[in-house]
Amino acid sequence: MTKIQIQVFLEFVLKNINKVVLNEGFYVILRVKWYFHMAKVTRILFKFKTAMVALAALTLVLNSSCFGDEPANCEADIESATLHVTDPEAVFYQMTDSFKLVMSTDTAIVFVVRGNADVTALSPTFILTPGATIIPASGSTHDFSAGPVSYTVTSQDGRWQRRYTVSVVPTSHEVADTTCYDFEFFELETANQHYYTWHNLLPDGSLGNDWATANEGYRLSMGSAGPMDYPTTPLLEAYDGSGVCLMTRDTGPFGRMANKRLAAGNMFLGTFDVRIAMSDHLHATRFGLPFTSRPDSFTGYYTFEPGDFVQDFYGNPIAGRVDSADVYAVFYRNHDADGNEVVLYGDNVLSSSQIVAVADLGYVEPTTQWKPWNVKFEYREAIDERLLANRGYSLAIVFSSSAAGGSFVGAIGSRLCVDKVRLICTHEE
Amino acid sequence: MLMTMATAMSLQATILDSVAVDARLGYMVGGTLPTRIGHEIRGINNFDLSLNFAVSAEASYPLNNKWAIHSGLRYETGGMDVDSRVKNYDIEVVRGGESLSGVFVGNVRIKSTQRRITLPVQAAYNLSNSVTLRGGLFMGWLTHRRFWGWAYDGYLREGSPVGPKIEMGVEPGERGDFEFDTSMRIFQWGLDVGADWQFHPRWGLFAELTYGLSGLFKSDFHSVQTLRPMYGTLGILYRIR
Repeated sequence: MTKIQIQVFLEFVLKNINKVVLNEGFYVILRVKWYFHMAKVTRILFKFKTAMVALAALTLVLNSSCFGDEPANCEADIESATLHVTDPEAVFYQMTDSFKLVMSTDTAIVFVVRGNADVTALSPTFILTPGATIIPASGSTHDFSAGPVSYTVTSQDGRWQRRYTVSVVPTSHEVADTTCYDFEFFELETANQHYYTWHNLLPDGSLGNDWATANEGYRLSMGSAGPMDYPTTPLLEAYDGSGVCLMTRDTGPFGRMANKRLAAGNMFLGTFDVRIAMSDHLHATRFGLPFTSRPDSFTGYYTFEPGDFVQDFYGNPIAGRVDSADVYAVFYRNHDADGNEVVLYGDNVLSSSQIVAVADLGYVEPTTQWKPWNVKFEYREAIDERLLANRGYSLAIVFSSSAAGGSFVGAIGSRLCVDKVRLICTHEE
Repeated sequence: MLMTMATAMSLQATILDSVAVDARLGYMVGGTLPTRIGHEIRGINNFDLSLNFAVSAEASYPLNNKWAIHSGLRYETGGMDVDSRVKNYDIEVVRGGESLSGVFVGNVRIKSTQRRITLPVQAAYNLSNSVTLRGGLFMGWLTHRRFWGWAYDGYLREGSPVGPKIEMGVEPGERGDFEFDTSMRIFQWGLDVGADWQFHPRWGLFAELTYGLSGLFKSDFHSVQTLRPMYGTLGILYRIR
């Protein structure tokens, strides 16, 4: 190796060491720059996103008179009705009878008053949808002895109207030995004719609306269903004339989406509040109506065929389980200790402390032949005759084709048919 | 003759040589916007354009020193999440042949995700050696479309303002869920403007804004008001040639 060669080699080594050292330093600088750069990029990107949202907002503003005046209300409801009188105790059986919360599906408002009350000059007042107007005016005086008085409510925007009737019905303290429910009177609901509703025959020969079903709730999920595809349908050839047929039904695509895959067929004395059918279904069934006799036993005829398989909340079959039906009647105090009105709901109809007596068929044995039942009311406390005479007790009769239907557990196709229901009553001599 | 051929060949070569091709990667914010906010929308609780990306290969064919035709193929993802307060809002919920419609008062949450392939056709103008402005139209095909949400914490007047009042809760099962995936248009078109900044012979930055002139939904769809896709992109480009 010559001197020159060594020099070249050393120069080469030095150069490269230098390079390595420089590269390392450059790498560090690059990394620092990179971090700095990324932080900047992130900031830029978030600024970009903010700018885009601002641009989107600007587009919205340019496209509209953004958030203009609040639109006028388009609803035209009587939300509640009150009947003020100078001597309420002489007119009403219960003080709470002077006030009615009106469901959105109701068009007939009925005040029950004592049989001897004067109804020729009464002035009901109304709470309406804000901004709505009513004709005749709230608080105007009318003669209710000739029958219902019609009212028309117009929405704030003037585009919608609803018609209501208000009646004040003097009702005597009825004492019947037997109350009969034969399910002979039914019709398609008057608004849209989607499903059947039932009427009961009152002692004076007129028709009442004591029976309720959850058919209106089923309509929300299965608007395409025909009247005979609903959970509660008439049965033309039953034990004696017509009866009622309750069948657990599939609630279709909406039901699956909401994890409410089935609807048990049900029928009960009370009212169905469709307002909360989606948000709070157990409270949509308002069980019970005032009843002024002491029920002694609960009889009738049924057939029951459980569906093929019981499914759980998620629609999965539960092996080995057979569906069961509900047939029971509950007698309860309809005001609490503070004087508030009480109705029973899906979650307390058999457990409320207001309950006075229960007649529960219990196990509903499957049968395809009409089978009679006769269940005695089991009393938990003595009846207060004065309270009974003042409509202080309510009676709920409940039929359901799937006992656990309230939890959306049951067998689709379970079928409970009922006919010739009797409440045999006793009264003190 | 020979002259002409030679000129033609050299011209062809010039044309191919002069086409600029680049690859782009963009950070994208996109979503859909109502064409108008009616009085029925009372307020926005939350408005979120989700973060997405766009990749593309694009080419420019110069017409002269200043002007060029610009086109390419892009793959983009987009989405949104909007929560608004409404009053007297017409809604229709359709699922599996069943429908429920009416007037809603309460809150409505709308979510959407989309992936699309777009073909822009733009005129490009060289503002300087390094800055180009572009403007034109795009056509887009959705390869993925989802649109869903729920009406909650309010009530529906079923059918009309005097129909049954149905309360809707907040939790699944209590609220009114909806899903309109298959009602979305697959084909979209609209305006497309952009700008490129070539800060290096190979590398550059670009910004792009597209606004759909076709609605997000098919014309026979009326469940929610007309919505239009709008996307913004910010990214880097690499000049291949």
